[in-house]
Amino acid sequence: MLIKLADNIIRAKPEVLESGSTRQTLINLAKVLCMSGMFYGSVMGSFAGIFGDRFFQVIFSAVKVPMLLMVTFGLSLPFFYVLNTLYGLRDDFKKVLRSLLATQACVTIILMSLSPLTALWYISFDNYRTAILVNFIMFSFAAGSSQLVLKRFYRPLVESNPVHLKLLRFWIIIYGFVGVQMGWVLRPFIGDPNSQVQFFRDGAWGNAYLELFRIIFR
Amino acid sequence: MIWDRVKKSVTGFNYRDAFGQLDQILSGDATQISSLEKGEIELPIKNLIVVMVLLGVLYGICIGSFNLLHPLGEDAVITMGDAWKQLFASIIKFPLLFVLTLFITLPSLYVFNALVGSRLNFLSVLKLLVSSIAIMLTILASLGPIVIFFSLCTTSYHFILLLNVVVCSVGGFLALAFLLRTLHRLILAQDLLLPAGLVVNEVYEDNETDKDKTGKKSNKLSALEKFGPTNKKAKNVIRIWVVVFGLVGAQMSWVLRPFIGSPHSHFELFRARESNFFMAVLNSLMNLLGG
Repeated sequence: MLIKLADNIIRAKPEVLESGSTRQTLINLAKVLCMSGMFYGSVMGSFAGIFGDRFFQVIFSAVKVPMLLMVTFGLSLPFFYVLNTLYGLRDDFKKVLRSLLATQACVTIILMSLSPLTALWYISFDNYRTAILVNFIMFSFAAGSSQLVLKRFYRPLVESNPVHLKLLRFWIIIYGFVGVQMGWVLRPFIGDPNSQVQFFRDGAWGNAYLELFRIIFR
Repeated sequence: MIWDRVKKSVTGFNYRDAFGQLDQILSGDATQISSLEKGEIELPIKNLIVVMVLLGVLYGICIGSFNLLHPLGEDAVITMGDAWKQLFASIIKFPLLFVLTLFITLPSLYVFNALVGSRLNFLSVLKLLVSSIAIMLTILASLGPIVIFFSLCTTSYHFILLLNVVVCSVGGFLALAFLLRTLHRLILAQDLLLPAGLVVNEVYEDNETDKDKTGKKSNKLSALEKFGPTNKKAKNVIRIWVVVFGLVGAQMSWVLRPFIGSPHSHFELFRARESNFFMAVLNSLMNLLGG
């Protein structure tokens, strides 16, 4: 059932937006997102091994990847709802919600398909910093290519009202802004072999953008 | 005696209706040309004001809780007591900011509005302005969770200050767009742009026939949609007023500061007269980028 849905998502089939009750479809999309997110997360967290203490890092990362996407989604949603209402698009909001959640699920499906590459990298090289870089590339690639699916899901909406396209840009900006910070707060995802296994890193509770300014300007 | 009265007015108020009316404004139901024919937004002003204050309180909580949420740095001098005081001060000051801005800008909006030839009465101008502020506060409240999330994990006061400035600007721009469009619709609805009057009716009728043909597509205007012909002179006058409104709002927020509360100073209800809003924003930006 869910595999069928996952396949429909990556093919951007209109069934995802149209069939079944909205509530049920959203729950199923969230299930797909959580399962494939957990799959990639567990691969991601296995850098320093999977036995003993390190097993917990695998579990933590598996929980944190879907959490990253879902919490960011939840935080960005209220504003987007108000914006859609103001621009008179509330009647389409159920479809909008399905498209956006399906795109999130698509990101995790792409990540899942890339997980063997990550695993191969982990087996071949033991440098922690390049492991971070590899994962960064994987996430950027998945996020970037999921835009293809998003565009296809949005096409009928944009055809019915071009304002949808304008609002979609707002969504991408706000989601990206919150998502980057969320990724920073939820560290570590990979697990430094030289430090203890933790759900949240001590002192990780900072601001990603300020760190970025610090790197660029100082 | 007084307490009973307060209690009665708090519990007896129909919040459901009031927020339903806010929803009518947001979705554009209340500002369709057909519902503006009497020359005003036909919603009770009392409800709009209550909604405005409640939403102001909500964002006041988001903005004022910064020092309670984030881990205090070693150089912070603020105490927990100060942080709580700041929260309560913000809860009161943030709605107050909007009420005062309303009082300061209402007379000039009314006068300018009369100058460009509309016959809107005082109440309808007031309702229009309160609705715009309600829209702004709804947007702020919907961005509140994001502000709280950043407050949780940021120690930099300047970052949070700029984040709040950006959030308020987004809300402000959308609310002013609403104000401009609705004012324009109100004037159109009364057919007061005389040279354009006939054209308006035609456009309106055309829309209705379209509806009959397709049967499916509704021609409902959204709250922010442009509609009908414009009178350039009137538009420019109102635009100037909008700029004034923005500047007044920004400076008013400076007069009532602090809303967030710097971790490096003790609690103050108001600060001394110095500098201005724009210098302070520039200063924070420089601080973030360079210092």
